[in-house]
Amino acid sequence: MSSAIGHSGGGRISIRNVTKIYDPDGAKVLAVDNCSLEIEAGEFCVLVGPSGCGKTTLLNALAGFHSITSGTIELDGRAVCTATHTEPPSAERIVVFQNGALFPWYTVLENITYGPEVQGRSRREAREQALDVLAELGLSPIADRYPGEISSGMKRRVEIARALINDPKVLLLDEPFRAMDALTKGVVQEFLLRALDKVRKSVLFITHDLEEALFLGDRVVIMTTRPAQVKKTILVDFPRPRTFKVRSSARYLELKAQVFDAVHEEARKAFDAGEREMA
Amino acid sequence: MNVVKIKKAIFSKTLLRGFISVAGLILLWEVGRRLKLPGLAAVPAPSEVYQSISASISQPKFWDHWISSFSRVISGFIAAQLVGIPLGLMMAMSRTFHATTFPILEIMRPIPPLAWVPASIIFWPTTELSIAFVIFLGAFFTVVINVIGSARNIDVRYIRAAHSLGSRPWDIFWRIILPAVLPGIFIGMAVGMGITWEVVVAAEMIAGKSGLGYLTWSSYVGGNYPQIIIGMISIGIAGYISSSLIRLLGHYVTPWQRTQ
Repeated sequence: MSSAIGHSGGGRISIRNVTKIYDPDGAKVLAVDNCSLEIEAGEFCVLVGPSGCGKTTLLNALAGFHSITSGTIELDGRAVCTATHTEPPSAERIVVFQNGALFPWYTVLENITYGPEVQGRSRREAREQALDVLAELGLSPIADRYPGEISSGMKRRVEIARALINDPKVLLLDEPFRAMDALTKGVVQEFLLRALDKVRKSVLFITHDLEEALFLGDRVVIMTTRPAQVKKTILVDFPRPRTFKVRSSARYLELKAQVFDAVHEEARKAFDAGEREMA
Repeated sequence: MNVVKIKKAIFSKTLLRGFISVAGLILLWEVGRRLKLPGLAAVPAPSEVYQSISASISQPKFWDHWISSFSRVISGFIAAQLVGIPLGLMMAMSRTFHATTFPILEIMRPIPPLAWVPASIIFWPTTELSIAFVIFLGAFFTVVINVIGSARNIDVRYIRAAHSLGSRPWDIFWRIILPAVLPGIFIGMAVGMGITWEVVVAAEMIAGKSGLGYLTWSSYVGGNYPQIIIGMISIGIAGYISSSLIRLLGHYVTPWQRTQ
C-alpha cells in the first residue's frame, strides 16, 4: 500500500547490558542495572514498571539525550550509545514526549513540515508531503490551526504525524497519553494503531497504563523496581489490525491478569523501598 | 466587524461606566475650580483648557513638539531593542558571558535614568544625543532583563523535540529560541515604552529646547496655565498611541499568543 509516510524499513534495537549510574552530587544512584532488551524491526514494545524505575533513562539514552555508564545500545547493528559515545539525537529516533512538545508558535501544518524542512527539503516539497500526510491521517481540517486552538487529543495526533513524516526507524513514546481522559485516550490509541498499520515502525512505548500496554503492544516488558532490569516479558498475540473489540476478549483478560500480577509485585517492592528510604 | 457588534461595543456597560467616571472627574474639577476649593484655585478649569485648545494646536510649533518627542522616543527605543535583544539572548545562552556581564548590568540597573542626565550631557557632544541616550537607558534594562528571563524559561522539551526532528544549531536558534522569546520581548517592549515616555518628558524639562515635556514646563514658566494641562494631556495621548502600536505589532508578529 502506498502512503505519504515513508517506510525505509530497519529499526532493530539491541540494548545490551546497559547500566546507568546518576551521580549528581556524589550520591550515586543506580538507575539501570545491567539491562538487556531486543526489539525487532517493526515491533511494538511496551515498557511498564514502577514510577522512577529507569524506563525513561533507557529511552533517553536511545534518543541521544544522555549517556550511559556501561553497555551498548545498537540500532540496526550500529552502536548509537555506549559508555564512551552518545550519538546526538536525530530524526531516525524521534521522541514523543509525556506532556507534548508541539511548537506553539507554528501552526499544525508548520509543525509537520518542521522535520522535513530542517533536514533540507524545500519548503514546497515539505508542504506537499505534509498536506498528504495530514489528509491520510484525517487531520486536514486543522492544518492551519495553532496548537493552542486544538484539543489535547488532537495535539497528540498531530505530534504522532509530526514524527511519522520523517520516516523514523524508531518511534520513542514516553507516556504520551498520560493525563488524558479515558475516552480521548481510546481515540488517540486507535489513531496510533491505524497509523502504524499503514507503516510498521519499531516502537518503544513507556506507560503505566497496563490496559494500554496490552491494547497497543506486540510485547509487554515488565521492569523491576529501580535499578531497572527486565522482570518478565509477555507476548501479546492479538492479530493486527486491532480494534477496540480486542479489549473484551477472553484472551485479553487472561493476559491482563498476568501483567497485573507481575506489576503489582514490583509496585509493592517499590513502595516498601520508598518507606524504608523515608524512615 | 459587523454593525451589531460595533453598536454593542459602543453601548456596552463597561464603556458607559468609563465615560461616566471620566465625565464625573472633569465635572468635579470644574465645580471645584468655580467654588475656589483649596488647591484648585490656581489650576485652570476644564472650560478654560477647552477654550485654549484651538489656540494651542493651531500653532505649527505645537506639532513640532509632538514630532520631536516622538522621534526621540522612537530612536532611543529602537536603539535599546537593537542592543538589548541580542545582548539578552547572548547572556541567556552563554554562562561565561552572563557571568562576566551580569554584575555590570546589575550595578547600572538601579540607577534611575534621570540620574544619568548630567553625566550624559558632559559625555555626549550635543544635548539631543544626551537626551536620546537617557531614553535608551530607560528602555534598555527592561528589554535585557525580559529577554534573559524568557530565554531561560524555554521549555527543554521544545529543544529536545527539535533536536529529535533533526535540527541543526542554526534551526534551534531561529526556529525555536527566537519564536519562544518573542512574547517576552514584546512584554519588555511594552514596559520599556512606558518608561521611555516618563524619561523623555523629564529629560526635556531639564535639558530640552523642544518636545512635549519642554512645552509643559515652558508653559508653566511663561504663565500659560491652560497650556500646562494641554501638554500633560498630549503626553498621555502620545504614550497611549505608542503602547497601542506596540500591542498591534505584537499581535501581528506573535499571532499564536491569542490562542494560548
